Amino acid sequence: MDIALAIGLPFALAAAAMPLSRRLSAPALGSLMATVLVALFLFFVTYAPTISAGAVERSFEWVPSLKLNLTFYLDGLALLFALIVTGVGALVMLYTGSYFESPEQAGRFLMLMMAFSGAMLGVVLAGNVLTLFIAWELTSVISFLLIGFKGKERSARVGAMMALIVTGSGGLALLLGLMFVGAVAGSYEISAILNSGNVLRDHAAFVPIVILLMLGAFTKSAQFPFHFWLPNAMAAPTPASAFLHSATMVKAGVYLLLRFYPVLGNNDLWTGGLLTIGMLTMFIGAFWAIRQRDLKACLAFSTVSWLGALVALIGLPSSYGLMAALVGILAHALYKGALFLIAGAVDHSVGTRNLDELGGLQAKMRGFAVATGIAALSMAGVPPLFGFVAKEVLLKAMEKSPAADVLLGVVTFAAALTVTMALILFWDVFMGKYRVQVSSGSAHESHTHSNSAHADQSHHHNAPFPMLLAPSTLAVGSILFSFLIDPIVKPLVESALGKPIKLYLLPSELDRAFQLSLLALGIGFVIFLARRYWLSLRLPALPSGPQVYRAILNSIDAFGDLLLRLQNGKIRFYLLFMLSALILFVIASGIVEPSRWARLNISFRDAADMLKIVLLIISLVATFASILIKRHILAALSLGVAGYSIGGLFLLEPAPDVALVQFLVETLSTVLIILILAKTSTKEREKVINRTERSLRHPKVWRDIAISSAIGGLVTFLAVAAVVNRPSRQSVAEWHLENALRLTGINDVAAAIITDFRGIDTMIEITVFGMASVAVYTLLTRPPAGKIWRRLQRGNHLEVTETEPAELTVNTTPRISTPLTRFGALLVLPFSALIAIGQILYASSAPGDGFTAGVVLGLGVAVWYVVFGYQETKRRLPWLSSRFFVSAGLALAFTNGALPFIFGREFGAITLLKDLNLPAGLKFSSTTLFEIGICLTVLGGICAIMEAIASPKEVEAEEKRKTQTVEIPKVEEVEKL
Amino acid sequence: MSVLFAIATGIMFGMGIYQLLRRDLIKAAFGFYILFTAINLFLLAAGAFEGTVPAYVDEQGRVVGGTSSDPLVQALILTAIVISFGTYTLLLSFIVLASRRFRTVDSDEIDDLIR
Repeated sequence: MDIALAIGLPFALAAAAMPLSRRLSAPALGSLMATVLVALFLFFVTYAPTISAGAVERSFEWVPSLKLNLTFYLDGLALLFALIVTGVGALVMLYTGSYFESPEQAGRFLMLMMAFSGAMLGVVLAGNVLTLFIAWELTSVISFLLIGFKGKERSARVGAMMALIVTGSGGLALLLGLMFVGAVAGSYEISAILNSGNVLRDHAAFVPIVILLMLGAFTKSAQFPFHFWLPNAMAAPTPASAFLHSATMVKAGVYLLLRFYPVLGNNDLWTGGLLTIGMLTMFIGAFWAIRQRDLKACLAFSTVSWLGALVALIGLPSSYGLMAALVGILAHALYKGALFLIAGAVDHSVGTRNLDELGGLQAKMRGFAVATGIAALSMAGVPPLFGFVAKEVLLKAMEKSPAADVLLGVVTFAAALTVTMALILFWDVFMGKYRVQVSSGSAHESHTHSNSAHADQSHHHNAPFPMLLAPSTLAVGSILFSFLIDPIVKPLVESALGKPIKLYLLPSELDRAFQLSLLALGIGFVIFLARRYWLSLRLPALPSGPQVYRAILNSIDAFGDLLLRLQNGKIRFYLLFMLSALILFVIASGIVEPSRWARLNISFRDAADMLKIVLLIISLVATFASILIKRHILAALSLGVAGYSIGGLFLLEPAPDVALVQFLVETLSTVLIILILAKTSTKEREKVINRTERSLRHPKVWRDIAISSAIGGLVTFLAVAAVVNRPSRQSVAEWHLENALRLTGINDVAAAIITDFRGIDTMIEITVFGMASVAVYTLLTRPPAGKIWRRLQRGNHLEVTETEPAELTVNTTPRISTPLTRFGALLVLPFSALIAIGQILYASSAPGDGFTAGVVLGLGVAVWYVVFGYQETKRRLPWLSSRFFVSAGLALAFTNGALPFIFGREFGAITLLKDLNLPAGLKFSSTTLFEIGICLTVLGGICAIMEAIASPKEVEAEEKRKTQTVEIPKVEEVEKL
Repeated sequence: MSVLFAIATGIMFGMGIYQLLRRDLIKAAFGFYILFTAINLFLLAAGAFEGTVPAYVDEQGRVVGGTSSDPLVQALILTAIVISFGTYTLLLSFIVLASRRFRTVDSDEIDDLIR
């Protein structure tokens, strides 16, 4: 098996999780996922001998132009993390299977968890820093989804957003830092960067690189002052907390620092930054942990504390610190994973995780009590558990650090607080008096149990066996690892570190580290005994992380509001901005230079040119008339005249295809505007006509004339500049002319460009057209919805006038429905179908193509809607389904694009059957398919638009509205808005 | 010749903008329509050569019967016309919606209502 497959496998299972959850029970699904991760675990174990000889690398090209390769790099460090991810992951998956009752929930959760496993493996196995970044962001996003898993709860939403914003901003810093690294080291491949020696350290950008990478690592690994997101992430279901927010994802920052230590570490900036932040975090985390009352919050803060210790260790100049960090990662994954899973089981069983409500559970949850005992002892650092080994090497490493005394003091005190925490976790939950009182406000997690827990106050629910098995395995691991230091831990850490180490369970003598370790145990025990006292103490209120976070978010909001003031909704305001920017661009671009205007000349060739000028003038005059004319319908007709003149210009160009489309669409537009005008109330329209200022004495008219003349003048300038400076015949068009027939088998070059040379453009354009028509349909046939509208309605602010029924002529039997028009309409549709078929068949050699065919058919349909009205058209043409036409058309267009795949070519690369000549000048090639697709999409779009405009659904909506009582707006209510 | 087209483009563009600035929403939609036309006209003017026959080629890849105009801009305009129609329809349906919601097609009045 390949490393790449090993990363792909969890993603594949994530995709399968939801479908599988319909067939399998939740425990079976969990076991399946666990089995797969165990297999991956074993797969990675087999690499252990290989990588002692050197790292394994596997590379795929992804985006070569960006130097982005999908490279995987497996060395000792990656292996250690991969084993933790798959090992802990397998146990958590097993546990999850029993944690959720409903298979649907379990499926959704396992889907995210498996995707996370894949992403996390991607982070630790990435061999290219950009791949690393992508996987890193993926873990942030999945973490967001998992924290927000119970999205109906506010805490879940807030926690998820907080985690995403904090880790996401850190991710941006990381991206910038990694880009610097890649640019300075000359490669984005991790193997090359690691071999670059001192290049990074000696570069001027070293300081920003280190700070940016630190920001990435600190946000991800919850270091002070970014630590606050982690306790808030506890809104996630507990298995996710155990897996992501304790064992793996939060260690990604630590992994990053370890990964880049060889090229960035061991200097003042690195040491100072990591030691300061790490020690601060360690102390703050330990201090806040013992004051929490929620079991998971305790664990979260103590995780923060331990992450701080790991970061501080990586900051140390000696490789002993790295060794201590690696041992610490292992120890923490074992005991903290176990404790999280147990916290989840406690919650699952008794419905609360509040320490004030817990106690004496050992009688009912003996297995869990034992597992907790072991894990807590390991956390406290009691020999001979693995946590003890970790604490020993931590203290020893600090001993060798600069300012050892201060650091040892802080570490010892934090370790003492950790001891207190461990004792609280064990004693206050499992020992003492049984007093579980489930209150309605408690933070129970599993929805399926909350009801039964409410019904019976002292209800106890036995956790299923897998829920015990998973944490017990981890707890037993804490014992086993101590005794398997030589066969397992040492080789693992040595290969990750790349050098031999000294590591043993018990120190041979009573050295200083051991003394301090014992001292921490003693102090911790004393603090534990005194917990009644210090828990009642009130601490001075300091600005907490979440407060600062909210303050920052609020200030961003305030800034947004400030910017929003510029968005006053007045088009002229925006236009002025754009205009001034454009003028600046024009000046900067140098178009104003006189030398560029040398080719400006106006010459006429023949009579056709004179005709063109006449048509231009007609179109300008007609457009101007449409502005002056008051009545909308006459203005629309005047615009139609302008449109037809433009069509005439196209015909004289000569561009018969374009002219045909222009004439047809112009006709359709005019029909459409008349229908739309019939839909809006005459009263409203007359009101606005009368209100519009049009006298030249009015200042508003002058203002608008000034703005539009300025813009018009600028556009004239730019257009003339463009035309004068355009390339002449050497443009790509010449190539199109030469190759159209050879490459596409189409004589009509414009059609060849549409269907082949720029076929993908066309495909996207008809997609847009299809979407626009669907949008029109949706807008016009759905009853008005939306927050503002509802609010307006509730407040009854609108002075609603009665709609005259006569306005809705389109919906009842239309007035123009006479026997003669009906006969005409009946004839029109078959004729337009014939024309359309002809145009598609001869698209390659005659004017007309899929577009014109679609519009012609659409016109036929439009005539039906106008003459017969909605109901009758629907009844007589039941096959007229706009949705079917649009989707079939788009499907054909995409199929045509995908056909070259058969021959191993890119999307839309070639035309097939281009030389197939049929009798009567007919041609049939793959572009014919495309033409049919274009025709169907355009037809479907027009049908959707016509149907929407003629739809009577709207009438119902109107009538419903009329029955509502209407009040005159009150001043206060208007102000509230 | 194409310089004249370019000048006409600018004039038409200015007229379209003027319509956009008015308070009448339906006239504003007309303004958009004028802008679409102006842009198509500009594309036509920007075509790289002025021809006398349509761009149909024979077996040798030569234009039949003389020189043709730039086929590329023709293809661009052709699709642009259809897209403009779609956009125009969408605009008009927004206006129908506005008229239904606010009982007016006067943009200044709507401004006052939602403020």
